[in-house]
Amino acid sequence: MAYTIPFDWTGAIGDVVLGATKSEGGTRRISYRIGGGKTLPFLETGPVSPAPLIAFEICDNPVFWPPLIRNYCGDLTNNVAEWAKTAESAYGADMVRLYLTSTRMRNFSDFASVKKTVETVLSATALPLIIEGSNEPKIDSEVFQACGEAGQGERLLLGTAEAGRYRSIAAAALAYNHSVLAQSPIDINLAKQLNILLREIGVQHDHIVIDPYTGALGYGFEYSFSAMERIRFSALKGDADLAMPMICSAADSLTIKEVREAEPGLQDEMAVRWEFFTGIAAAAAGAEIICVRHPKTIPLLRAAFEDLKKGTRPEAEVQ
Amino acid sequence: MALKALDIYKLLPKKNCKECGDPTCLTFAMKLAGGKADVDLCPYLSDEAKSVLGATTRPPIRLVKVGVGERSFKVGEEFVLYRHDKTFYHPPGIVFHVSDTQTEEEIEAVTRRVRDETFTRVGSDLRFNGIAIRNESGSPETFARAVAMVESVEAHLPPILISRDTAALKAALVHCGSYHPLLHAATAENFHEMCALAKQHGCPLVVQAGTLEGLARLVKDCTAEGVSDLILDPAPDSLGDFVVRSTAIRQLAITRAAPDLGYPVYLDATRAGNEDAAIALGIVKYASVIVTSPLSPGPAKAALTLRQNIYTDPQKPIQMNPGLYRVGTPGKDAPVLMTVNFSLTFFTLQGYLESTRIPCFMLIVDTEGLSVLTAVAAGKLNETLVRDSVKKFDVENEVSHRKLIIPGYASPLSGRIEDATGWKVLVGPRDAAEIGEYLHEEWKN
Amino acid sequence: MIKGILTMTDVELARKKGEEHQKSKISTIGRSFSYDETAYHLPISYALTGIAVHEQKSAADVYAKTGNNPLVASECLLADTTAGKGKEPEPYTGFIGDTVIRKLGYSLVDGSILGLALVIGKPAGAGSAAAICRELQEKYMLTFLAGEVIPTLSGAGVKLGLDYRLIPLGSTPSYGIHFVDVIARVAMMFGGVTPGDTHRLLTYAAERAKAIVIVFPGLTDEEIAFADGMRVLGFPILSLGDYVGGSWIAADAETVVSKGMEEKGIRVNVTAIPIPMGCSPAFEGKSIRKEEMYVEFGGGRSPAFELLRLRQPGEITDGQVTVIGPEIESMKEGSANPLGIIIEVSGKNMKKDYEPVLERRIHNFVNYGEGSWHVAQRDLIWVRIAKEAVAKGVRIEHIGKLLASKFRMDFPQLLDAVAVTLITDAAKVIAAKAEAEKVYAERDDRIKGMRDNDVSTYYSCTLCQTFAPNHVCVITPERPALCGAISWLDGKIAFEISPSGANQPIEKGAVINARNGEFEGVNRFVKKASHGEITQCSLYSVMEYPMTCCGCFEAIALMLPEVNGIMVVNREFKGITPSGMSFSTLAGTIGGGAQTPGFAGISKNYILSDRFLQGEGGIERLVWLPSQLKEELKERLEKRLAAAGHPDLFAKIADETTAATIEDLIVFLERVQHPALGMEPLM
Repeated sequence: MAYTIPFDWTGAIGDVVLGATKSEGGTRRISYRIGGGKTLPFLETGPVSPAPLIAFEICDNPVFWPPLIRNYCGDLTNNVAEWAKTAESAYGADMVRLYLTSTRMRNFSDFASVKKTVETVLSATALPLIIEGSNEPKIDSEVFQACGEAGQGERLLLGTAEAGRYRSIAAAALAYNHSVLAQSPIDINLAKQLNILLREIGVQHDHIVIDPYTGALGYGFEYSFSAMERIRFSALKGDADLAMPMICSAADSLTIKEVREAEPGLQDEMAVRWEFFTGIAAAAAGAEIICVRHPKTIPLLRAAFEDLKKGTRPEAEVQ
Repeated sequence: MALKALDIYKLLPKKNCKECGDPTCLTFAMKLAGGKADVDLCPYLSDEAKSVLGATTRPPIRLVKVGVGERSFKVGEEFVLYRHDKTFYHPPGIVFHVSDTQTEEEIEAVTRRVRDETFTRVGSDLRFNGIAIRNESGSPETFARAVAMVESVEAHLPPILISRDTAALKAALVHCGSYHPLLHAATAENFHEMCALAKQHGCPLVVQAGTLEGLARLVKDCTAEGVSDLILDPAPDSLGDFVVRSTAIRQLAITRAAPDLGYPVYLDATRAGNEDAAIALGIVKYASVIVTSPLSPGPAKAALTLRQNIYTDPQKPIQMNPGLYRVGTPGKDAPVLMTVNFSLTFFTLQGYLESTRIPCFMLIVDTEGLSVLTAVAAGKLNETLVRDSVKKFDVENEVSHRKLIIPGYASPLSGRIEDATGWKVLVGPRDAAEIGEYLHEEWKN
Repeated sequence: MIKGILTMTDVELARKKGEEHQKSKISTIGRSFSYDETAYHLPISYALTGIAVHEQKSAADVYAKTGNNPLVASECLLADTTAGKGKEPEPYTGFIGDTVIRKLGYSLVDGSILGLALVIGKPAGAGSAAAICRELQEKYMLTFLAGEVIPTLSGAGVKLGLDYRLIPLGSTPSYGIHFVDVIARVAMMFGGVTPGDTHRLLTYAAERAKAIVIVFPGLTDEEIAFADGMRVLGFPILSLGDYVGGSWIAADAETVVSKGMEEKGIRVNVTAIPIPMGCSPAFEGKSIRKEEMYVEFGGGRSPAFELLRLRQPGEITDGQVTVIGPEIESMKEGSANPLGIIIEVSGKNMKKDYEPVLERRIHNFVNYGEGSWHVAQRDLIWVRIAKEAVAKGVRIEHIGKLLASKFRMDFPQLLDAVAVTLITDAAKVIAAKAEAEKVYAERDDRIKGMRDNDVSTYYSCTLCQTFAPNHVCVITPERPALCGAISWLDGKIAFEISPSGANQPIEKGAVINARNGEFEGVNRFVKKASHGEITQCSLYSVMEYPMTCCGCFEAIALMLPEVNGIMVVNREFKGITPSGMSFSTLAGTIGGGAQTPGFAGISKNYILSDRFLQGEGGIERLVWLPSQLKEELKERLEKRLAAAGHPDLFAKIADETTAATIEDLIVFLERVQHPALGMEPLM
């Protein structure tokens, strides 16, 4: 083969481990090591990691969840344990992302329940978990303490740290050995800064997953897409402060106009397609965890990722 | 590596004769440096200069036109691997596929869809771009009939003719030759005949090979035969394979490491195991012509939206038309929220307003697509603009109150806006996500 | 009252004796011991040496290895004692298990607890002890207690326990060693300290652990040895008893907590401002009209000025607000009165250079007040206070409180103390204003006189990398950023205030080409920042390796080969230049992070810099400017040209009225005999 693609990379994406099996000190049936990429996504000659992983999003108070999903999943949405279990057994997700939406109620203070919910979900499913904490900075300290402690040993991925608001989640990550989702508003410089702030407080690079914030398709997605490409490029060019795996979560996809105004009976289909196209494009840009809310999106993504990871025939050499 | 303007200027005659259409040689040199001019326009270049300049200033990926007239589309003339480095210029044509083994009604229906279906987003009309007719029957006559069926709809769409059989192509071209259809495909075995056909009808030609080397060789062979409007089909056998090959072609072309690969890429999504995924990947990974089965509304809208998003110039923000927009059915006492015409701002705010279920007005002012923060910093969002917009869009006739809610980041302007408009200004939250809470607490009073 | 010598304790002497006692006791340890609920054995010994101590042999080993360290000794001896006596009864906690430590460490990291305090000994009375504990609680400190201070406090009704952040460790000060083993474990759990990494542990304790020790009277020699042993960890030892010598810091009950916290750099963040007016950016744009104002200052109607000065720590009292002269009550409604605003700040990280940067914030902060308004700066300010605000009770003093609070809130890392003085006495304002004017002049001279050769560090700016991924500006004293907004000093201060922000230092390194301004260090930096795209950058040249551009430059300098000169066009000029291109055409092609020899994006003021066009031979290369820009720069440009030995050059620079096209320009320049025509060829 005469051609080699002239890239000149000097760096690689760092590894992050999600979940812990029994031998690793936890109770998950599988753990994932993501990251490790040495070139652009899907150009490696051999599979580098199990990524992209598909995370199914659930919550513990469905009043804050998109009506379309409340409708589709029905009673499951009222029982977070059953819902988590179904995500594993029937929907085929790789991870479960639990949003503690109950903490969004006004004047929330039942932190014991937070601990209990996390423990319940940890028992209901043996998949590695992502836990989204509070929205309200005033209760961050207690909420993340409860999450961190409840998940001790399980190597959770805790969300979501931002520039002005990362101390409690970092504390939980340090105290109980979890990883952190670091979110910035579609700006590579802010993403880098946040990673530096986290490192200064003690969170190591191999415990950070970058969330560049994903706008829904048609609602700013291209900004997120380019932010991801730029982060991946910088990492491969040697910028260690950006060399972390990324997550894509276009939660707005379920409530956009195109879904709301689709013909009755076609709303689910529209939502699934929206999540699907977003997930594929994001994976091509470097996202290694793709979050979805509609169960039907999962098998579609799974089939596509299998085909994507096939790599190329021997003739094409990639550097 | 592309030459810089200064180096190009050194090779030009420096007469400022203006015969190339530009006022100075410096201007022409800058255009050449950006791949935006044809070196042949200068009548006073030495042959040597011409060949040096030609090789390095010609766009790294050839511009190829598919079809004729209003529905034709151009692809190629790309310069970057990442849209954020500059932009992607020519969106891929997404083309619906029919087989000559389908019924006439089916073929007609698909053609009519491509002719008529329009999905409007952000002020743009998004459409599919052509019809690909595949010769699966094995019969030239059947193929020709199918093509004739397509043309009978009088959609004037760019056709793609897919056949291994040059006789079948010849028969089909009788019905659509004047549209300069894209012919699929020339291979190492048949390129002589294919080139002849292409030349005869002025058609662009897809070349197909299983290796990049094979593609480059075919390109050399076809250009030698006088056919330069070529599109590459790397014949991928999986989605992963496509990503590798398409990326390789793009990177080798723009770095000018393999000039023979400097052509647009063709992707037949119907041959991929997962068609939707192939379309999505084709859009983000440099395909310029994507053939797909006729799409149902879900994937159709998603695909068109993804294409629109990826092929937007990252340096030019998308803008809404300025005006007074309604959310729900606002009455005379409905709140009026002013913000900029950056589409991301608009849609984000609109989405949150819709979910509050409070009918209201959105007064969108023209900040040339800049966000609130940038527009305030640049002085583009100012009290004069707000005053003029209130007048222009007749806001005072729509509501009986005189209270204007402005974005949190525009708070430094509140006093001046009050002075200029005579309205009372309420400063809203900085984050649109809080608008619901804000309206419930502040407006209800 | 005369203090008898007998009541004074010589720390040094006691320490030595104490350490001797410890030494002998170590050899007589008889039991094996271990604490429940911990993975860290004896945490201090473990952290220092990596050795798990559970009986005499390992204890002696570690003791020897750490040079007979008193903390190690205290830890081992207490473990031995506890194994024999058993745990002390409630409320004493004794050794605290890992699970609780993890929770405490969490609170330290997430900021709900600012720091740790250890209080040991026997206070004379309950009053001062209780006051000290209350102050520690109010300042978000977690306090550990050991010794008779515990029964003294509970006897006085003070509630103890984890919930109250007052943890009673044990009945004697020796139980205070648990304070140290908590910190050792936090270091290992959160601070990345591996057991045995002595150096790392000591660094963590000194720099990250915000810990102070307060000592009441009544310590035995061994306990003094233990307390003094904590100095090596960087904990200040504050003494409320009659301890002399050593390096213990004497204090009294009223000031011991703030002294200790200041000593350790523990700062409390202010959140609420105690004034009867709202304060928020939402009020920033609200101006106060004449009819609405109660009183005004400055604005040409009365003398007024503002000034911010750096003071030494200790020279000012944090939060102090002083009004010199009449208050609002004495001012007639609608009148103009004199005003001097003086902000005095101190802080370990605060520098004199930052004064003007912080001073500019006075404008924003006063405008945040609901009912206060401010324009301009220095001695040109104009301030108004609204009738509504005065009716609500707002006084001049409250403006001072607003300023003091906002400065503390917005610059927590920089400022430890802020004091505000507002002068309304006419004579005093005038006198103080004259002094302030001297300071302004001094500042102006500093920046004006700064040369590139004076400094070895330049500053980068990547603020617009969002739009131009490979672009980086290099800012020098004589070359501001091309957007015009950031000077070298701004970049320096921005870096010091946010070390991981968009402005980074660039070590110049060796000179590669002095005329073009090419430096080794700058090249290296630019190469990295542009991901390898740009390998060379000349700071003073337009023709060779000019700096890259983003898109927000104020003007573009470009070559005109036909006349061997350089022209400049600014954003405001809408027409076609002699190059054949307009500003926007040019901007479209040279922006986006590209390096385009022959073209450079610049700020307008850079035209006046001595370095402008240095690479091309000097300012004599300048052949064309838009007439409006020429007018705008006229006075300063004429000075510059005269200083360069070209007093007549201004008239020889063409503009769109004298030469709109390249052909016209050639004719014009020949007619006026422009020096560029005779200079060495540009290409």
